[in-house]
Amino acid sequence: MNPLELTLGIMTAVGGFVDISQLVFSAQAGSRFGFALIAAFAISTIGIIVFGEMCGRVAAVARQPVFSLMRHRLGLKLGLFTLAVSLASTLITCAAEIGGLGMILNHLTGAPYLPMCIASTLLLMASMWILPFKWIERTYGLLGLFMIVFVVALVAIHPPWAKIAGGFVPQVPHGLSTKELLSYSYFIVAIFSAVMFPYEAYFYSSGGIEEEWGPKDLLTNRVTSVVGMGLGSLLSIAILALGALLFAPALVAPEVPGSAALETAIPLGKAGLLFALLGMFFAVAGAAVETCMANAYSISQFFGWEWGRHKKPWEAPRFTVAWIAAMLLALLIVMTGVQVMNLVDYAVVSSIVVLPLSYLPLMLLANDKSYMGQYANKWLAKGLGWLFFVIVTVTAIAAVPLYLLTSGGAA
Amino acid sequence: MRRILLLLLSLAACSKGPQADLPYISQARSLAAEWALVNEQASAGKLTQTYVETMRKELRQELDTSGKALSQPHSAYAREIDALLKQPGDASPADLREHARALKTIEDSLESA
Repeated sequence: MNPLELTLGIMTAVGGFVDISQLVFSAQAGSRFGFALIAAFAISTIGIIVFGEMCGRVAAVARQPVFSLMRHRLGLKLGLFTLAVSLASTLITCAAEIGGLGMILNHLTGAPYLPMCIASTLLLMASMWILPFKWIERTYGLLGLFMIVFVVALVAIHPPWAKIAGGFVPQVPHGLSTKELLSYSYFIVAIFSAVMFPYEAYFYSSGGIEEEWGPKDLLTNRVTSVVGMGLGSLLSIAILALGALLFAPALVAPEVPGSAALETAIPLGKAGLLFALLGMFFAVAGAAVETCMANAYSISQFFGWEWGRHKKPWEAPRFTVAWIAAMLLALLIVMTGVQVMNLVDYAVVSSIVVLPLSYLPLMLLANDKSYMGQYANKWLAKGLGWLFFVIVTVTAIAAVPLYLLTSGGAA
Repeated sequence: MRRILLLLLSLAACSKGPQADLPYISQARSLAAEWALVNEQASAGKLTQTYVETMRKELRQELDTSGKALSQPHSAYAREIDALLKQPGDASPADLREHARALKTIEDSLESA
């Protein structure tokens, strides 16, 4: 195991973990329900670690990306349905990220929102065209580490650590009305969805194949999944805790993505604000690249086209057209004028619906000794895998009714 | 599943009046409180001028959207939102918090109704 490779892998995972949905839901969750939803972040982080590690292992041993498995395991009809829903939800997520980039650049430069969305899309496309796969990952992942300013801000305000630790215990806050209870449930669903977005699995497993992982890379995969996702989750929990301590007493339930940056400005001033906005920009840009590439990977793998950023663009022409089209379509959605916060809501609801169908084939293959040999899931991975499959299935069933009943958590 | 969804959609469509406006009132209360926080931090020199101006513009736009979405445009809460929209960008945090508290009172009374 190359220590440099490992360090970069961890840092990349940390930087790419927080996207626009997590920025919004973390700050809102803290301001509305105090520390109570920390447990939802902690449990869903274990979920993404379990599935992320499984994705990487399947990619390294069976060399099978998620959508190739899906077609074989789910059959053509159900596979096509999953592909269609997944393409739609990932496209909406990509649009939310591009809208988020436009807003962050607007706060940084003062330039108008829509031109900033166009500029960020062109910048992302140029970087995806020019940079090799590894450097796309590293650039956005490493620069996203500016987000650590949220942890610094939390430490700076001397928070009540015991109360924060209490948030890791699953709980329902006392005295909630029925409406508030429904909103609380919607937030749990939204947090699970935002942490366990299916595109992360598509991107991670395809990335493993792009980087030609083999069994020798399994330790790197495990450590990257556990430490990287764990530290990424720490950032989200810091944003939540700052929301609980700084926003809730001021009656603020942040309504726009740029609000999260205020959490760092209050204790750290202008420097904190700028670090937060830069970190948010690169983390969200990383998520935009991941969603765009995830769509190109999905469609190419499902139909058996040549794919991969390790190939020259003209060596995998349909894959190249797919990622360019995904990015431009996402920009088009933003240009219709739909609000970023609405896109965030649609993204989390549609993603959680497709989640069980994305993970089931992967887990079945990871359990299968005829494919995976000695690297097949052992009792712990099997147990956790099934447990999280049940959890995401229940949340997927509850997502749409909760969204409608609570007007996207607002009620 | 389809029946349940149709039932939920029709329930959502049937609810009108102050109760249906509750999400917009909460949103407006939060926006007013956030505007106050931005102005307070700006006067303490903790924010860049660009951030302050873009946040004020965005918060005002969101407030405008909330106000237009109300089903009871002549209600007390609609008047509060109108009064907020008439405030200058650099309004004093105390004034803005006053509006936020008024909206919170209305919100609480509707929630307990």
